[in-house]
Amino acid sequence: MDAVVKFTSQSQGRDRIFRATQYACALSIYLLRNDSERKNLVAKLKSLETNMSAGRKLFRLGNTVNSIEAAKRTMQLSDRVLCLCLTAANMNRALYFICDNVLWARSVGLIRDIDKERWILNSSRCYFLSLVMSLTRDIYVVLQLMTQTARDKHFRQKMELQLNESPEVAEAVVPHLDAFLFLLLESLKSHPAVALDTLKNICDLFIPLDRLGIYKSNAGVVGCCGLISSVIGIVTLAQPKLRLKP
Amino acid sequence: MDSWVRFNAQSQAKERVIRAAQYACTLLGYTLQKGGAAAELRKTVSQLEAHMSLSRKLLRLGNSVEALEAAKRAIHLSDSVLRLCLTISHLNRAMYFACDNVLWAGKTGLVSKLDQHKWSQRSFRYYLFALILNLTRDVYELRLLIECEARSRAARSPPSPSPTLPADHSLSPSTPDMLAWLRRQLHLLVTVLYSNPPLLLDLLKNSCDIFIPLDRLGIYPTGQGFVGACGLASSVLSILTMVHPWLKLKP
Repeated sequence: MDAVVKFTSQSQGRDRIFRATQYACALSIYLLRNDSERKNLVAKLKSLETNMSAGRKLFRLGNTVNSIEAAKRTMQLSDRVLCLCLTAANMNRALYFICDNVLWARSVGLIRDIDKERWILNSSRCYFLSLVMSLTRDIYVVLQLMTQTARDKHFRQKMELQLNESPEVAEAVVPHLDAFLFLLLESLKSHPAVALDTLKNICDLFIPLDRLGIYKSNAGVVGCCGLISSVIGIVTLAQPKLRLKP
Repeated sequence: MDSWVRFNAQSQAKERVIRAAQYACTLLGYTLQKGGAAAELRKTVSQLEAHMSLSRKLLRLGNSVEALEAAKRAIHLSDSVLRLCLTISHLNRAMYFACDNVLWAGKTGLVSKLDQHKWSQRSFRYYLFALILNLTRDVYELRLLIECEARSRAARSPPSPSPTLPADHSLSPSTPDMLAWLRRQLHLLVTVLYSNPPLLLDLLKNSCDIFIPLDRLGIYPTGQGFVGACGLASSVLSILTMVHPWLKLKP
């Protein structure tokens, strides 16, 4: 109980729970869309999803400042690639929050004559760019880990064993692929934080890809990916060891 | 900026800011109505207020658990009056949050056919009981501090010889004596409150807050403007105690 209270007292903790619920509703609505007996339930789920989304927009009103502060911190990192990727990601998130705040003001009626569709597109673009930057950083960290693991003597012994176990593989290309995959999996297994962050960013990427029309999937895929990324977000918040730093 | 980030990270702080904005909208709506503003502006303000109220209900979804944990902690206090007041106040708050959660489910459509008025009245009753108990605790602490202060004053200055009453005034206490006593008590009260800002803030906050359920339950209707002003004042005081934790009354 104490841990639950501590988790929900952070505003980020509550926001992630609401996000998970929102995408779970979206997924359930998609799965039940053709079920004629459950129309009542689908209507309730739609209402719950709209309410959660509206509430979350209100709670996000102060987050631009958070992102700008995070960008200021990441500008001081020593590694150039990390510095670039993270600062760009944070600045794009700040722009996304500004667009989101404008959309909130429009939905509440404070601002009337703005082009809602254009602002939704802009916010999706900023979100997409920030996710791409985060993924670039993830790939960079994974490559660094792979080079580090490849040099490790203990790992080399494991790889020799692995490669000698399967003698029927084709000679030219596949041993390299096999070795590469083995190296990748070993690196990710030893650093679960990177694996979780990469998976979260990949899942999150489907949401703006669908909204911008670059890769149109359906509402079910979007709901499922959103739910997975929210659950990973909750896990990394509850267990700070699993959070990728910086 | 750094302090804003830390403040924003607490969900209770966010809820207080939204509460302040909600009651500011109530006050604004009342002022616009009195001033005869356009109906569309009034509608926007009342829609904004409803949106903030519903979102606050969403944000408060887990608070019953926190109130129960606080009640569990309050049972171990040494002072029996404090123990009684605080435990029952926290239990009432837990019940208020539970009713509030049911109201949220009704407003979002999860529970159909909910008698919203009945549940709303219920929740305001629990809120009123909790506030009355908080005020009782404030008055009790104030009395203890006043007694303490009076004793320390009596110990510091030697007692002056009481003036002998003239014969024709022996039946009733004279008015100047009573006024002097009243002035002394008032001075004690002001000194104690001035040297204990947490108690003063808590007393003010609870006094402002109590007008809200009194108005909503119809016990002492004061009108939207007064309710909005009281709600805004108590929210601002609450934000102040969060920004400066030393201003919070403990336990």
